[in-house]
Amino acid sequence: MTTSDRLEIGVIFAATLMVFLLGVAILGFGREAGYVVHGWLIAIVAGWGLMNLINRLNDKQPDIPHEYADTVIKWGVWATFIWGVIGFTIGDILAWQLAIPSWNGDMSWSNFGRIRPMHTTAVIFGFGGNALMATSFYVVQRTSRARLASEVSPWFVFFGYNLFVLLAVTGYPMGITQSKEYAEPEWYADLVLTFAWVGYLWIYMRTLANRAEPHIYVANWYYMGFIVVIAMLHVVNNLAMPISIAYPKSYSLFSGVQDAMTQWWYGHNAVGFLLTAGFLGMMYYFLPKAVNRPIYSYRLSIIGFWGITFLYLWAGSHHLHYTALPDWVQYLGMTMSVILLVPSWGSVFNGILTINGAWDKVRTDPAVRFMMVAILFYGLATFEGSFLAIRPVNTLSHYTDWTVGHVHAGALGWVAFITFGAMYKMVPWIWKREGTYSLRLEAWHFWLALSGTLIYVGAMWNSGITQALMWQTYDADGNFVYAFIDTVDAMRPYYFARAIGGLLYLIGACLGAYNIYMTVNGPRMAPASDANRPILQPGE
Amino acid sequence: MKPELDETSGQETTGHEWDGLKELNTPVPLVFHISLWLTIIVSVIMWVLYPSWPGISGYVKGLAGYSSRDRVAEAVEARQDLRLMQMPEFAALDVAALAHDPTLEAKYGEAIGVLYRDNCAVCHGRDLKGQINFPNLTDDHWLWSGTPEEIEYTLQVGINHLDDDTRWAEMPAFGDGMIERSDLKAVVEYVLRISGAEHDTELAKVGASVFEDNCASCHEEGGIGGIESGAPSLVDDAWIYGGSREVLTETLKYGRQGVMPGWLGRLTEEEIKKLTMYVLWAGQDEEQDDASN
Repeated sequence: MTTSDRLEIGVIFAATLMVFLLGVAILGFGREAGYVVHGWLIAIVAGWGLMNLINRLNDKQPDIPHEYADTVIKWGVWATFIWGVIGFTIGDILAWQLAIPSWNGDMSWSNFGRIRPMHTTAVIFGFGGNALMATSFYVVQRTSRARLASEVSPWFVFFGYNLFVLLAVTGYPMGITQSKEYAEPEWYADLVLTFAWVGYLWIYMRTLANRAEPHIYVANWYYMGFIVVIAMLHVVNNLAMPISIAYPKSYSLFSGVQDAMTQWWYGHNAVGFLLTAGFLGMMYYFLPKAVNRPIYSYRLSIIGFWGITFLYLWAGSHHLHYTALPDWVQYLGMTMSVILLVPSWGSVFNGILTINGAWDKVRTDPAVRFMMVAILFYGLATFEGSFLAIRPVNTLSHYTDWTVGHVHAGALGWVAFITFGAMYKMVPWIWKREGTYSLRLEAWHFWLALSGTLIYVGAMWNSGITQALMWQTYDADGNFVYAFIDTVDAMRPYYFARAIGGLLYLIGACLGAYNIYMTVNGPRMAPASDANRPILQPGE
Repeated sequence: MKPELDETSGQETTGHEWDGLKELNTPVPLVFHISLWLTIIVSVIMWVLYPSWPGISGYVKGLAGYSSRDRVAEAVEARQDLRLMQMPEFAALDVAALAHDPTLEAKYGEAIGVLYRDNCAVCHGRDLKGQINFPNLTDDHWLWSGTPEEIEYTLQVGINHLDDDTRWAEMPAFGDGMIERSDLKAVVEYVLRISGAEHDTELAKVGASVFEDNCASCHEEGGIGGIESGAPSLVDDAWIYGGSREVLTETLKYGRQGVMPGWLGRLTEEEIKKLTMYVLWAGQDEEQDDASN
């Protein structure tokens, strides 16, 4: 073991110890049952990590094998599908609750307000975040021809990150939340994520620095953009003062309109960098790989990257049109959102035109079909996003189900489709299988997911515009023609349709998870060729 | 590596390769340039016309002189003028006079229904028939009298509300030792008896005197209820919380402090008059329905 390895283990040991002490303090001083359980959870996971680190320092370690570090990626694949199925299931339960309100169970922990963040956190951070981590570890190694720069850090990142998601999702039903959309977890869970995320950034940069290729492949630019911006957003938006170690409650550093602006700067860029830039990184590796074609335009991919990175950070204020936010912030956000359409569609065309010369694969390979349709939904959602950001359009769409439909066009159609496409390719590669267990099941998954998404988004367009028009209908004397409850009544058929669409999507995802499971348990391929190995560096 | 020609597209690659991945050196399409500059030009025009870039102690106000604050103020003012003109009867007359005008319901009933559904229906139901814990407004059973003025007053100040003038009526929690446990049971049987339900005759006899001592000051002798005190009648078939043995026992043990919000401050006096009429009309319609059945 070299000195730098020892130093690294020392740093990770210190970080894990701090997390462990946080858990011990919470379980010792905590006064609420759920909070104390969280203390135990943190202490057990971190304590188990410390044991492992101590063993690693004492035992003689085997030589680092001359191959890519794929075991942590395999864990990431499982985490992706487990959180995905959990998140989709809760999402569809919520959809049925909206159609049949008595299904909220009339208990505090089972009502809509408590389990809605369970859905969003499980799908965005559990499903999306794990998919990004797993694929980014895969991509950075292959495109750098270098093994992950550390044996220990990837595990610290994986377990720290999933501990954060688990703390978040189990805290909400017990009422532990700071009520910031997509940033609901309280300060102690945020601290755990901060540790994990710094580790992620560090391992990613170290591996890139070790690359055997002269240039950094464009997918890594997008993954790096995602990691850096999420770090910045997470730290700033979650600046808060805990009231005491005894309780999970904290107070944000921001208040009033500053709080709202910080929150939507965070919220919109979580969409822009986690759900967009990260998944564009995924697209830039797995799509050309799957269709075996070069990227359509190197120049477009670079302009797209800088355009998205520059413009997204201005656009958050379009979530606060016609509020207490000063007009000038609203207009800046609106205009930047409109310009943003151009680099977004640049990425769309760069993706679609990359398939040129291999369009037969869209017909024969469901994974390619997933990715192709994902790009189309990305184009639809980004056009819709820029359109809805225009202030007068926003007077119609804001606070309606149209927004919900827009988000799901992006989340179901783009994020999850590109993930499924990439997973169907990556899983056979890392487990060294000839292919997926069943192409037929893949195709079923595709069609179920596509019809589910179309039903969902179509229902929300209808209900959103219906709501908006009913809210804005006055009689000649200036009285409302519809009471609010009348507009709720009018939503009923669309809410049933949405719940059915969501169910189709969930069934598809279950088929997908089964297919992945069977692929892993399928026949083994011949040993990997030398092309699928890192290049040895001097001194290794 | 050297750039190579891609047969399918006729473009050259950049000459780099990662894990078998290559990139074409395709120039950025003209349509991209045009769209980018078009959106930038539109944005610059917007920045010139509307509030946009911040400075040190202010921001670019824009040539159009737009301010969303001013826009809202104008819209509110315009709407207020319109409101003064609509339903003029409600600004001019008091509720007693309004109640004598039989033409109002046909003219305004539908529009006032929206006001009712937005503010009252969540507790009293869209059909005004109430639900458990919230009284029916159409059955002609009143806690504080059903005259137009009294209904209007209840709407204004509420019941057990924060308002200083609020109507105040609390059923005390008798389970705190105010009456004996055995007497508690007896009173329940007595209340069951006077409400015409199945009951224990022996216990009800004991309950009668307990009721006399503890309950009649509000609910009046025989439990007919007191309009002055807001204590409901116990002899009719209308219940707010329920008239079963279990619910009566719960009410008696733990008391009841139902709240009706006072609406002055949230609604205008005219709107409260409208809602008063709406409640009265619903009661009258219900009576007519009963009569025709």
